Amino acid sequence: MATPSPTAGLGAMATFGTKLATGARLLGKLRDEQVRIAATEKDLVWQEDKVTLHRFRPLAEQRIRTPVLICYGLIGRWTMADLQPDRSLVQNLLKLGVDLYVVDWGDPSRADRWLKLDDYIDGYLHDAVEQVARAAGTAQVNLLGICEGGVFTTCFASLHPGLVRTMTLTITPIDFHADTVESRAGHGFINIWTRSLAPEDIDRLIDANGCLPGTFMGAVFNQMTPMRTLTKYNLDLLDVVDDEQKLLNFLRMEKWIADRPDHPGEAAKQWLKHLYQENRLIRNELEIAGRRVDLGNVTMPVLNVYAKDDHIIPPATSRAIGPKLGTADYSELALPGGHVGVFVGGRSQALFAPGVAQFLAARD
Amino acid sequence: MDPFGNAKAFAELWAAGSKAAWSAADAAAKGSAAAMAASFGAGQAEPAQGAEIAAGIAELTAAGQAATQLWQAAVALAQSLPQRQGKGGEAERAVSALFARMTDPRAWFDVTADMDQVLTWMTEGPQLSDLWGTERQYARLARAWLAVRQRGLEHSTVVLGAWQDAARAFMQKLAAVDKPIPQDATLRLWIETANEVLVEMQRSERFLEAQARLIGASTELRLAQQELAEDLGARFGLPTRRELDDVHRTVTELRRELRAMRRAQRDSPREASAPRALPAPETAPPQGARPARATSRRARS
Repeated sequence: MATPSPTAGLGAMATFGTKLATGARLLGKLRDEQVRIAATEKDLVWQEDKVTLHRFRPLAEQRIRTPVLICYGLIGRWTMADLQPDRSLVQNLLKLGVDLYVVDWGDPSRADRWLKLDDYIDGYLHDAVEQVARAAGTAQVNLLGICEGGVFTTCFASLHPGLVRTMTLTITPIDFHADTVESRAGHGFINIWTRSLAPEDIDRLIDANGCLPGTFMGAVFNQMTPMRTLTKYNLDLLDVVDDEQKLLNFLRMEKWIADRPDHPGEAAKQWLKHLYQENRLIRNELEIAGRRVDLGNVTMPVLNVYAKDDHIIPPATSRAIGPKLGTADYSELALPGGHVGVFVGGRSQALFAPGVAQFLAARD
Repeated sequence: MDPFGNAKAFAELWAAGSKAAWSAADAAAKGSAAAMAASFGAGQAEPAQGAEIAAGIAELTAAGQAATQLWQAAVALAQSLPQRQGKGGEAERAVSALFARMTDPRAWFDVTADMDQVLTWMTEGPQLSDLWGTERQYARLARAWLAVRQRGLEHSTVVLGAWQDAARAFMQKLAAVDKPIPQDATLRLWIETANEVLVEMQRSERFLEAQARLIGASTELRLAQQELAEDLGARFGLPTRRELDDVHRTVTELRRELRAMRRAQRDSPREASAPRALPAPETAPPQGARPARATSRRARS
């Protein structure tokens, strides 16, 4: 390789210096309130304890009569489904004429230490579904579950199939031991990590903290991509620091990542032990509200959306549900990207919402 | 037996160990710095050639060997100590055995060794009603703190080993390239290589066990802190975490019953006036907690 000329070297330094100066100016003028996520307008329709139910204001003429209820889990928050106007499943569905609702679990504290999955699935979610049906004037509701929220909707659909018109699952784990099917490097770490803990270790961890701390799970997630975590605030940020739009996109993602509610204690024990360790759901051995969750009782049409490169929920753990359902109307939608990428990435925007809307419309 | 001879031997052991430890650390640091400088050209426009990178790999290996030699030297020196003691009677042999144990270099790396034995006796020995309760709590806290330090060291050792593997793999890849590559490509290669090694390390039994033990140790420390804080707070009439948990548990169960009652009324409005059986409240205490107090609530028949 020829020795670089001094001029080229000086030019590179000047470019880098300009980038830094522009970035410093942008970071200096930006305020936290400018970094808005989940900004699509919605109205509160119901609240119980810390749980809220909102209805999104329509962005187009309603084309699908049966309303859709988005149900996220207790790790993170649903707001990544409405990260920004051009990366929003929420807005895309609204523009396709969907009557859309979302249930938010609030910010659990140690006071919620004794809440179980039963309370969320057969208590709050059950009430939310009835509220949506009442508000929309329908007998049934379309459920759209995300990750742990997909497990919630699956359990609910099994226990109350008459209330569910269709169920869309997204990035949802069902067989928590199927992470070894593909054995891709870096995939399924959460599954391996959880199985390495003794059940009594989990009990002591929850008892000591009163919850599964959001910051703790955040650290576990960061472990899964070690070098990405180490280079995010130097290399990745440096790439976008002089472009206001890209910088805002970066900061919005950071805002969502920083919002990590604590997972209520008893519910966390069930999540880690009964599901991740004992894998009761796929074996129809999970009990919710005193009743066994039988996947064969899920008799309504199901669309299973998964991310092809999902390192947190390997596709095999999600696709395992197909043969277990009590319906022949089961279809899958494989999207490019990773676990969060299917919601916030550019490649999936043109595929995700249209795929879901098409599924709903054909069965409305 | 010459007590002064033992003391002198012990002093020589520490001096030799200390000197060798610094030499090994110095060699490792110099080796790593030289290897990195050779790889990135120490400010030069072009990275080093393959031979210089190979030399860096050799230096890094030598630094590791120096640490191994240190360990072997320390063990050999410790084993030679008893030979310096004269043969004596039963008492002298007992002291020699104790001395050999004290000078075993393996004990240097087990920071909880003798301390742990004492603390174990204090925390797990037979309890005499109201005696030494607070002392036991402080001892448990100290033991838990030491355990966290030890498990943290073990965890860091595993991770550090992986970083070293990543560095070796990175330099081997660089050595395999027969032409110089730009610095940004070099950086991407390092990120990619390190990520592969670290991800593989995370799936190893060694890492998972080390992290599980560290999590367990930090949990026990937190519980020991809470126990001591509760005991001290209770003496001043402050509400404790345990009491608040009891209150929250009661509130949660009441809410559960209320939701069930509301649902029963919605589902069967014509039967709403008749009392219905409610699900029995859960009374099983959490693991490790004191038994909950009996309440005045009764299930309606």
